[in-house]
Amino acid sequence: MRNMLELSPPRATSPLGRQNPEPTNYVTGNRTRRDDRRWMMDDGQNPESGRQKNNSSFIPHPSSLILLLFMFCALFLTACARQDRVFKESRFVMDTLCTITVVSPSEKQAGKAIGAGFDSIEILEQRLSFFSSDSEVTAINNAAGSSPVMVSKETFGLIQKAIEVADITYGAFDPSVAPLTELWDFSGQDPEHPVVPGEREIKLALRSVGYKKIKADPSASEVLLEEKGMKIELGGIAKGYAADMAVEAIKARGIKAALVAVAGDIKGFGSKPGNRPWNVGVQNPRTPDAKKPDRTKDIIASLHLNGEAVSTSGDYQRFFIKDGKRYHHILDPETGYPAAAGVISVSVIAPDGYMADGLSTGIFILGREKGIKLLESMGLDGIIVDADRKVHITKNLRGKINIEEAD
Amino acid sequence: MKRLIKDLRTGGVLSMATFMDKLLFFLLVALAIAGFSFMDDLLPAGNLVNISVDDTTVYKLYLDEDRVVSVKGPLGDNIIEIKDGKVRMKDAPCPQKLCVRQGWVDRGAIVCLPNRVVVSVGGDKQHSHAGDFDAVTK
Repeated sequence: MRNMLELSPPRATSPLGRQNPEPTNYVTGNRTRRDDRRWMMDDGQNPESGRQKNNSSFIPHPSSLILLLFMFCALFLTACARQDRVFKESRFVMDTLCTITVVSPSEKQAGKAIGAGFDSIEILEQRLSFFSSDSEVTAINNAAGSSPVMVSKETFGLIQKAIEVADITYGAFDPSVAPLTELWDFSGQDPEHPVVPGEREIKLALRSVGYKKIKADPSASEVLLEEKGMKIELGGIAKGYAADMAVEAIKARGIKAALVAVAGDIKGFGSKPGNRPWNVGVQNPRTPDAKKPDRTKDIIASLHLNGEAVSTSGDYQRFFIKDGKRYHHILDPETGYPAAAGVISVSVIAPDGYMADGLSTGIFILGREKGIKLLESMGLDGIIVDADRKVHITKNLRGKINIEEAD
Repeated sequence: MKRLIKDLRTGGVLSMATFMDKLLFFLLVALAIAGFSFMDDLLPAGNLVNISVDDTTVYKLYLDEDRVVSVKGPLGDNIIEIKDGKVRMKDAPCPQKLCVRQGWVDRGAIVCLPNRVVVSVGGDKQHSHAGDFDAVTK
């Protein structure tokens, strides 16, 4: 799906509100205007000339000429100046809706940058897909317990980063949790008759989980899963990483401001025309309207992104309810069951998308206390909604975000 | 007065004006017309439709959710319709029906003074909406 739309210029830059570039235009203006000014000065020395002398004369009074120029420019300033505009396009990539917003004076440049951004996400998707038979991740999983697999620089980099985040979160975020994810199969469940896997199956799958058994060799760019039956799945970190990659591709095209949203994993840099920051909302994990639980309305907090990334993990994204109990898709690699740390939504703000994405998953499993402590020790920020729908934020964030009243 | 009519007929007024006077006149007209188009931008816009009767809010609705509501005022019922991101007064009990004739709006307000009904479009900080944001993290 392609959906290119150009947003109208913001109010602050409408001609009525932006007359200050006028003098600069005049001084640095083209030759004719400078000539006009000289002509005016000459005329000033001769007050008998012009209109006062002869009414039907076509030589205008100099001041009226200046006035006219001024009015002309005020009227057509939008057309004269190469103004920054906002371009936005959405496509389905990585099994989700991605939206790239770019600020540029040129539609052509914006289009190219948006294309480059989507290209980089699509390449990652091909390499990282857990389900496609020819992805690099599938190649690694198929060779589990036997041989190391050489992968592209990007895939290798992400696996290293996934291990890094796993270490930081004491193993709560674990890229090797895939055998469990397959067992629970949240995307394939029949919503009318969901199936909770048996305890024995879960225990069995748990044996194949453990990120420490992923061996990544940077010198050869090779990855080995040490035991047969192990599987990696980078879904908990790939979207944030994709936002990082898209931002790099867009920056390389000379763009000064853009916002990349791979579903809810968002990274932005620069600001919108009129120096307005990117405004990002955090979804309310429990929408007031129970009839439409999946609608993307109702925001619990809003924040400004300037060079950072934000990601959210919640128990409302993929889940089923069986016998009145909610089973969501964020699995605890220790228990094999959906994480039950008393939180329903975790948002993390970090300089890099992969870190925000991986940490939000990990902290969802760790819970509020450990999560806030971890974020504050790293100098990062986060917003955590607990099971009582209370919103907790890191110290550093106080006064920087708007917390809305959740219904 | 007679002279003015005569002047107008023979182009007297305009012939008195210099070229620059005429240009100035047309520019002023152009500026005034341009001003109208900016009026729209200056009116408050938003995603929230606020409907009140006698200064009491009775409905807060999203502009992007189509629906029809009826509110009761001293004269009877006003029917308000929201569709395709616009709102209109579909029917009103007032005699002149100025509010109905205003048609569809997506900013500003519709007022039915006789029945004390005000429909205004605007943002609401208490209740933010995904449309106000550049992106939503979820």
